Amino acid sequence: MTGHPLTLKVNGQERALSVSATRTLLETLREDLALTGAKRGCNQGVCGACTVLVDGQPVRGCLSLTANCDGAEVTTVEGLADGNVLSTVQQAMADTGAVQCGFCTSGMLISAFAFLRDNSAPTVDDIQHALSGNLCRCSGYRKIVDSILLAAKRVA
Amino acid sequence: MMEPGAEVAFHRPRTVQEALALLSADDGAVCLAGGATLVAMMNADLIAPSGLVSLSGIDVLRTAERLPDGAVRIGAMRHHRQTADETLLEDGQQVVREAARQIANTPVRNMGTIGGSIAFFDPAADYPPALVAADAIVDISGPNGDRAIAAAAFFVDWYETALGAGEMVTGVRLPAAPMGSVGVYHKLARVSGDFATASVALVLAMENHTVSHLAVAVGACAPTPVRRPDIEAEIIGNGLDDAKVDRLADALAERLDPVDDVRASAAYRRLVAPRMVKHALCRAAETLGGRQ
Repeated sequence: MTGHPLTLKVNGQERALSVSATRTLLETLREDLALTGAKRGCNQGVCGACTVLVDGQPVRGCLSLTANCDGAEVTTVEGLADGNVLSTVQQAMADTGAVQCGFCTSGMLISAFAFLRDNSAPTVDDIQHALSGNLCRCSGYRKIVDSILLAAKRVA
Repeated sequence: MMEPGAEVAFHRPRTVQEALALLSADDGAVCLAGGATLVAMMNADLIAPSGLVSLSGIDVLRTAERLPDGAVRIGAMRHHRQTADETLLEDGQQVVREAARQIANTPVRNMGTIGGSIAFFDPAADYPPALVAADAIVDISGPNGDRAIAAAAFFVDWYETALGAGEMVTGVRLPAAPMGSVGVYHKLARVSGDFATASVALVLAMENHTVSHLAVAVGACAPTPVRRPDIEAEIIGNGLDDAKVDRLADALAERLDPVDDVRASAAYRRLVAPRMVKHALCRAAETLGGRQ
């Protein structure tokens, strides 16, 4: 992974890296920075398990090239909690039993975090729409939607 | 394509001219727009470019503006999410905004761009029929200078556009739509965010129950969006009764050339597309009726 030097601000911390042109942000996070919260599911941008925030907006880690992210602020699921205190949406997922196998959970959390930041009083329909890019293959999504409703209520 | 193991070059030029020079210097280099399609194909080993020319550092490609003639120019690097919220689009131009809103999902709309989408040209994508219905112009820059081409001529065949070697899309222009016109994008998909099984994009204007402007394009049912300007011209100047709606839907159906794929059979598309045309036209006419 030689080649293109760049800096990222990952979960608030400046990181200097040098990457090949084809290295994805997901590979950089997982393999170079040991942040394994974001998952590699389909590697095609479809499943949403790799969703992270780049400059505050949810994007696909697997479709982002690290070389193209020079200077960006990246937030992964590891950056949501404040020390040992879970963020509201993480605590709500734990409380409602919305985590099953856990593979989709970090992507769900990132999408839900960005959604709740922009929508304070969402309906079930709003939530389903917001999470339509995150697939869960364990559940019927019911508890995940419930957890986000709970998080919205706790924030309000 | 490149030798296995060779380093892929990465460039992030600041101007269109620099980008064109980089593309000319390497036959195997491609433009990197939002990455939503290109990186997915690289991940699947379907494409191995020798160089990547990122367009994300070129400011002029990232803006949208209203031009003096009322047209709206959308830069090639505008994300789907920006176009989905674009307040510059008025009247029938909103067909493009409606299409952008139905592309994929939030993370992908944050990445994918209008230029990248149309340059790749998946015939089941949402922009092509919307741009054709909006009479959009595609702006292209290349080694021989700039040119502009109607969207209807830009889309040539399955995954094939009018882009030549070393050329790139710099933006699309949506001409001013008639005042009071409506734009409708009606999409049938297996699940939210999938590519279209079939889609209908239209712009309609009526004055005193008479059609004053009409453009209807069917997507995902032929190599390129299908329109019938001849039948549209017959209807303009008349009322939009059931017979006229049926005539246009039937005429569009004659020109469809759908395929069997994972989303639907060709026969199903032939059945459903004309019904979608009727539904979308009636919905648009009702919207206008409510305004009169």
